Amino acid sequence: MADKKILFSIRDIHVSVEGKEVVKGVSLDMQGGEKHAIMGPNGSGKSSLANALAGHPNYTITSGEAFLDGKNLLEMDATARSLAGLFLAFQYPLAIPGVTVANFLRTAMKAKFGGDEEKLRSFRKELKSRFELLEIDNSFATRYVNDGFSGGEKKRLEILQMAMLKPKVAILDETDSGLDIDALRIVSNGINASATSEDSVLLVTHYQRILNYVKPDKVHVMMDGKIVHSGGPDLARQLEDQGYDWMKPDNAEKVEA
Amino acid sequence: MGKSITLGAGAKTNPVEFRAVDKHEPDWFYDLRKAGWEFYHDSPLPSRTVHLWRYTDPSMFVVERPEDSKHILPVIPDKSLTGKRKMSDRYSCFGYNQSDRQTVTQMDDKSRGGGVIFKDLYSGLRENPELVSGYLGGLAGYDFGKFEALNLALWNSGYLVYIPDNMILEKPIYLHRQPTGGLSLFRLLVIAGMNSEFTLVDDYSGQDDRGGGLINSVVEIFAGDVSKVRYVNFQRLGNADKISMTVRTKAGRDSEFKAVYAGFGGSSAKINAGTVLAGRGAASKMSGVIFADGKQRMDYHTGHHHVSGDTYSDLDFKVILKDKGKSAYTGLIRIEKEALNCNAYQENRNLMLNPGTKAESIPELEIMTDQVSCTHGATMGPIDQDMIFYLKSRGFTEAEAVMTIVEGFVETTLKNMPEDFSREIREKVAEKLES
Repeated sequence: MADKKILFSIRDIHVSVEGKEVVKGVSLDMQGGEKHAIMGPNGSGKSSLANALAGHPNYTITSGEAFLDGKNLLEMDATARSLAGLFLAFQYPLAIPGVTVANFLRTAMKAKFGGDEEKLRSFRKELKSRFELLEIDNSFATRYVNDGFSGGEKKRLEILQMAMLKPKVAILDETDSGLDIDALRIVSNGINASATSEDSVLLVTHYQRILNYVKPDKVHVMMDGKIVHSGGPDLARQLEDQGYDWMKPDNAEKVEA
Repeated sequence: MGKSITLGAGAKTNPVEFRAVDKHEPDWFYDLRKAGWEFYHDSPLPSRTVHLWRYTDPSMFVVERPEDSKHILPVIPDKSLTGKRKMSDRYSCFGYNQSDRQTVTQMDDKSRGGGVIFKDLYSGLRENPELVSGYLGGLAGYDFGKFEALNLALWNSGYLVYIPDNMILEKPIYLHRQPTGGLSLFRLLVIAGMNSEFTLVDDYSGQDDRGGGLINSVVEIFAGDVSKVRYVNFQRLGNADKISMTVRTKAGRDSEFKAVYAGFGGSSAKINAGTVLAGRGAASKMSGVIFADGKQRMDYHTGHHHVSGDTYSDLDFKVILKDKGKSAYTGLIRIEKEALNCNAYQENRNLMLNPGTKAESIPELEIMTDQVSCTHGATMGPIDQDMIFYLKSRGFTEAEAVMTIVEGFVETTLKNMPEDFSREIREKVAEKLES
């Protein structure tokens, strides 16, 4: 791993929502092939960081830097960031009524890879195999995007998109929330199968359980807009047993004392 | 024949003469027209205080001296096709009508052999008087309203469509109405026999924007018992045209009537579309896709009138507004006291693509019984920015995202249409989005 280059690097990122600072200086380096997890209690700024990095207009990055494969993400809008290889799996994927999954994916694939006949043919073939991977029924293709989908179906569709669009860096925002144990296994398999040894995955999660399936190389704990602790995979299990409270800066001091 | 009369409000200043069409004009038709003529002249302008006319100034549809127009009388016989417009094998019946010039009608062998009557309306009332006299003016009669009365008195081109009992036409009937400027008074009478089944496309398209014309159209549809009729009203007139149009349908017992209104053209469009659920078990589904841009004003009113019990109505109206486009939608559901166990639904959604557009949505419920199920809803607002972000995060450009969302917005409504025409509507939507 040591000779791999840094694929994704963020430096001292600050994010504001409606004038209120919610991310207060986060830095992170990910090498190609690495999986990192950002864990933290509700309201710690995890999802805000994810949305801001993907270019959501309501999340303003007030200072800091973000580079993907050497390219400055902060100079790009959401479209360009996607085409540069960034992917955000949404915590709450939006319904697009009247637009079928197949048409939606075809347009997205065309934007990313171009749309000649040959690519279109391989698109159908690939879609079929990805359906199988994620145990998705073929009727999915003709349903409207996330319209009337269950929570689990929405999350599968997010990972299906990740599998098709082959991002270099995938940020998965609470992809595990709302999944039962079978769905979690299927979705996790999908994540593992989609990310190549060149790609990086950033898992944003509240709970440890998805990390049993998608093994992280590093775990970061975020609280009150900052990364307060980083460690190996064991850190996640420790959090599962002990919760987040012990890590709060004021509590930590007490423990030491 | 000596049929002439001097009358009306105009008599005080400018006596006008009401003329017979020609010496063959049947008495009943002359009397009906005369009643319309008198009503038009005697009735005041519709009040702007009622919902129906709150959003459009009725004076723009007033014709000062319609009798001065020499082409105004319905003297247009069915002419042979002069190679101008050809029947396509996509249609069972094909009608082409250049307002005051000619009306062409053609049928395929199946329609002709099966007893379909399809001809210009004036030929129809001379050749099939017992049929036409029983229906003409039956739903939008001389006292229906000022502009409907004018139409009844002086329509100058029209079609008669009669589909016999049990007749099923797989291919649509296509009527192309092409106003040629000035004043056009169109009329359509459709009589669907018991257990018949067909689609009729009523397409109003203007060729250019030169000057602009005034179009007044009235459509009466009698959907027989157990019939399945689909009516597509496609309005893509020139940008300077003004249109007032009234469509009335009477749905018979256990019939299924589906209407689609696609509105894209005209500087001002005042459309009044209504279905009377007259027979027990009748069902009516009405949908709309309206797109106003530039300075267009679209004023669509729909009505579902439940006269009989166990009837069902569903309305789904989608409006897209761009530039300084304006829309006023009013939707009436009326359920009579005797009409028990009815279901009525109404939904109007407005998508406003930029500030400066204006949308009104007024539901009107007149429900005389409590043994019903009725819901209505309206939404208006810009495209959800989160939807745009979602698509952009998948590599869509902003323009592609808007296009995709708008196409999806209308797609659920277009499912009810014949494929040929839903494609044309999609193209029309795309064209307006890109302009």
